Amino acid sequence: MFRVDPRSGVPIYLQVIEQVKRAIALGTLAPGEQLPTVKSLALGLTVNPNTIARAYRDLEREHVIETSPGRGSFVPAGNAQTDSRRAAHDAAEKELADALRAARSFGLDRRTVTALIERALDHWFPHDEQERA
Amino acid sequence: MTALSIKHLTKRYGSFTAVDDLSVDVEPASVCGLLGPNGSGKSTTFKCLLGLARATSGSVTIEGAPLQPGTFDYLAYVPEKSALYEWMTVEQHLEMARRAYRKYDAARARELLATFKLPPKKLVRRLSKGQHTALALVLAFAIRPRVLVLDEPASGLDPIFQRTVLDLIIDAAAGGAGVLFSSHQIGQVERAADRIAVLREGKLVLAGDIDTLKGDEKIVIAAFDALVPEMPELAHDPNVRRIERGGRIVRLYTDGESERIAGRVAALQPRSLDVVDLTLEDIFLGAVGEDGAAPPIGVES
Repeated sequence: MFRVDPRSGVPIYLQVIEQVKRAIALGTLAPGEQLPTVKSLALGLTVNPNTIARAYRDLEREHVIETSPGRGSFVPAGNAQTDSRRAAHDAAEKELADALRAARSFGLDRRTVTALIERALDHWFPHDEQERA
Repeated sequence: MTALSIKHLTKRYGSFTAVDDLSVDVEPASVCGLLGPNGSGKSTTFKCLLGLARATSGSVTIEGAPLQPGTFDYLAYVPEKSALYEWMTVEQHLEMARRAYRKYDAARARELLATFKLPPKKLVRRLSKGQHTALALVLAFAIRPRVLVLDEPASGLDPIFQRTVLDLIIDAAAGGAGVLFSSHQIGQVERAADRIAVLREGKLVLAGDIDTLKGDEKIVIAAFDALVPEMPELAHDPNVRRIERGGRIVRLYTDGESERIAGRVAALQPRSLDVVDLTLEDIFLGAVGEDGAAPPIGVES
């Protein structure tokens, strides 16, 4: 279910955190569903167990997952809809931030970037979604 | 209790200092990758650890106690060149280990033998280099050690069995073992280890948690329209390791707070600005003073 790139400069635990959030946002991990144990995910990805444990601890602190001793880690069943919307929101926010960082590093100014965003919005959100909301 | 503790270890051969005041701790359920160029003191460190060489000064403790015969009930060591008997078969080695080690687990040994596809009846003399390594690993893991010391544990193995070795290390750590292993392949360390210790000419030049190092060590790269302006405050910033300037381009190597430093550079109004992640290989090469070519501007690693 998850994939990490250990060679990347991005810490592995951050990659795991992002993938879990993405899986929840996409619904691949459903509310109430159990996550793999630290050991099985470590062996599955061939990654140090402490690295996985660190990712799970951070996810717990952010209330993205819940862990109960002896039972393992779960996607909270609670307010499922809000949770998966929030996960989707977080994942999208991160991707947008990465894209904007790239735009800044290309030396584009704010006005140019705003125009680019407008154009992308017209493409992907052709109908004014605000009216429906 | 710390699984393995090296304190101020120094080893001199005549006037040559092979290991110079080295201190490294390996905690239980943790894997420390020992990295360093050839001749940086890794194997000498292992020899001193295992009592195969006498330290000039400093100390080594395993689970809080100095090395003693009983230590080898729960400590396993795989040397770089395996110490096997050429005239004995694979299964004779297992039998010898069964008699020698109180904690020897015969079922586990058979399982490992099958994993590495080792022929039990074959003479060690007829084994390939990879099979030598595999047999040494089978013997080491068959005692279900709490402390593991592995010198280049995947040398001579094909990529599939290299992965098997990493899985064994990960499995041992998940079960609570403390592992110290050396490797020339940073990719292996990057997967199996959570910490690294980097040696250069016998000295510890870098140690820490791999993900924390990756998170902290970045290069802030800025290109200006004209010559790079002076940045005296950044030169003395505690998180700026060094600054490389060349014409219109400046690179700042940071060991933390890269976003804050990027913000300071942005205030100088560069034409472009980027924060590039460093890979463990970059960090390693930087620590041993063998920086490769700096990444081109704007390229995400």
